[in-house]
Amino acid sequence: MNHIFFVTLKLLFERKRQTLVAIIGVSIGVGAFIAMASLMNGFQKYFIEQALDLNAHVTLKIKDEPDKERILRKVYGDNVSFSIFGAKPKELKDKIIDYKFLIKKFEKDPNIVGIAPHLTGQGIVRYGTVDKSATLVGIDPTLERRASVIDKFISNKKLDVLISDRDSIIIGKLLARDLGIDEMGKKVIITTPNGITHLFKVVDFFDSGITMLDQTRIYMNLKTLQTIFNKPNEVNEIIFRVKNVYQANEIAEKIKNETGYYTESWQKAFRNFLQLFKIQNYITYMIVFAILIVSAFGIFNIIMMTVLEKKRDIAILKALGYENKDIIRIFVFHGVTIGFLGALLGCLLGYGIQEFLASVNVSVEGLVRTKGFALDRDPLYFIYGVLFAFVFSTFAAFYPSYKASKLNPIDIFRSSA
Amino acid sequence: MSIVIQLRDISKKIRDETILKNINLSISKGEFISIIGPSGSGKSSLLYILGLLDIPSSGEVYVEGEKIEFTESSKIAHFRNLKFGFVFQFHYLIAEFSLLENVMVPMVKAGISREDAKEKAALLLQKLGLGGKEKRKPFQISGGEQQRVAIARALANDPILIIADEPTGNLDSKNTAIVMDIFCKLHMEGKTVIMVTHEIELTERTERIVKMLDGKIMEDLELSKKKC
Repeated sequence: MNHIFFVTLKLLFERKRQTLVAIIGVSIGVGAFIAMASLMNGFQKYFIEQALDLNAHVTLKIKDEPDKERILRKVYGDNVSFSIFGAKPKELKDKIIDYKFLIKKFEKDPNIVGIAPHLTGQGIVRYGTVDKSATLVGIDPTLERRASVIDKFISNKKLDVLISDRDSIIIGKLLARDLGIDEMGKKVIITTPNGITHLFKVVDFFDSGITMLDQTRIYMNLKTLQTIFNKPNEVNEIIFRVKNVYQANEIAEKIKNETGYYTESWQKAFRNFLQLFKIQNYITYMIVFAILIVSAFGIFNIIMMTVLEKKRDIAILKALGYENKDIIRIFVFHGVTIGFLGALLGCLLGYGIQEFLASVNVSVEGLVRTKGFALDRDPLYFIYGVLFAFVFSTFAAFYPSYKASKLNPIDIFRSSA
Repeated sequence: MSIVIQLRDISKKIRDETILKNINLSISKGEFISIIGPSGSGKSSLLYILGLLDIPSSGEVYVEGEKIEFTESSKIAHFRNLKFGFVFQFHYLIAEFSLLENVMVPMVKAGISREDAKEKAALLLQKLGLGGKEKRKPFQISGGEQQRVAIARALANDPILIIADEPTGNLDSKNTAIVMDIFCKLHMEGKTVIMVTHEIELTERTERIVKMLDGKIMEDLELSKKKC
């Protein structure tokens, strides 16, 4: 192989401009891949992590939509076809029966690390003259801590105040901002759908980074919410924290089978987002693929041009005893070296872009709220980048190399004479 | 004298045209042969077959008594690398390589280490009057010097046969004389040299002249020895 390296490296480094253009082409592709992958996956991972920390891995609840067909099927059986032209919404009578028993039962499950009851409902929160609708969540702070990492998102860690002061609430940071509340201790009035109003003191802020939640959610003591909703000892949700988040689907199914209640894993709850992320990933990788294809064409062009320009040199190399396979190796190695150097430079470029993005102090507010970009700086992206560049450059170099090996030196000597 | 290369009943057809017809030629070790003939007489085609660069349509080629199987491309490439040295009308030096590196090309292919190849290439360049110019690129030297580099490259692996196709075709009279002197010197050292040329006066320095016409050897003249 010494002779291959000898010829290739000379060709590469003596044709600096062409080599550099090709290397830059590959490095842009690899750098873009690394930057885009870490940006996209960083955002997605951040969203999922926040959502998983805050929301239940598995939720047991009364199904939101009343099953209109259920009653008809109960009466007429499954073999009758029918259409429903309208159904008057009714308050759900279904409730979780003996939730305390259910909590005790599943506490023993080794796959479950925490269980907490929730009572949720809608309300209007008023501060001064500003009204905002809110999702009221009644929690048991002690159990909640085991079933979620709620403390992580409470700005001043005053979750326990909900136990000692039952008229206290923790309010979403964006909701507080919309109401004009900028410090703790302010009093707000909450009105429930059944017309009851109650005065609460804001004892802390809730800042999850997920706009949708921070803009609507209010935490309060479970007992207090049961009282103002007039639902004593009633909950409409039980949340479960599981050991392995990727087993949430199976555990949800198991709980459903054992209790008969509707259960929802986090994957199911966030399926729209997960689906969106999938589409987003497809688009990202298609763009990166296109960039890499373009850079591969760059390599292809440069090697093809080199082959055309170096016809005489190829002929003389053959006359001097270089075999067809040597010629293929020389030009494939040429392409692979460009790919490899481009990949290394691309890694540096990708790292540079990551550093730049990490240093940008921009307040991102959309689906999630972060200060700066959420980046996933997994070293695997660098490895993938190098691998892609390697594969693309090998493929790009192969055809021109093959063509070069098929050149007949006699034709070239005759045409030169 | 042992036979270096032998052609038996060699014919070459390109499409419907027969460019070499039943050529029989034996070349012994140490001979200095010129092949002459008008354009299209088949002298270059004959040279390419002698150099194992081209495959005959029929007939057999023997190198040092060994029959060449043209299907064995690796073996043929090996022969070209170790046993033959080529010099062409256009020097065909690789523009990106220095003079030293151009001479090293066949040596590294033969498996000689770069250090040894460098040393040997420098010696060859010095022998051909190019000492001190090793690091120059081909475009930085004259045409005559370029051809001398090509001769140094042909000698790199100490071949049994030097095959030259119009080696002075592109040179002025002064450089032609220099190149011919080199070939003579090589011949005197015992090398076998085959040279295709259309310059009759050059054949006077060779000891055997093969005249070709219409793809046939018309005359094979043995001249007096040691004319160089």
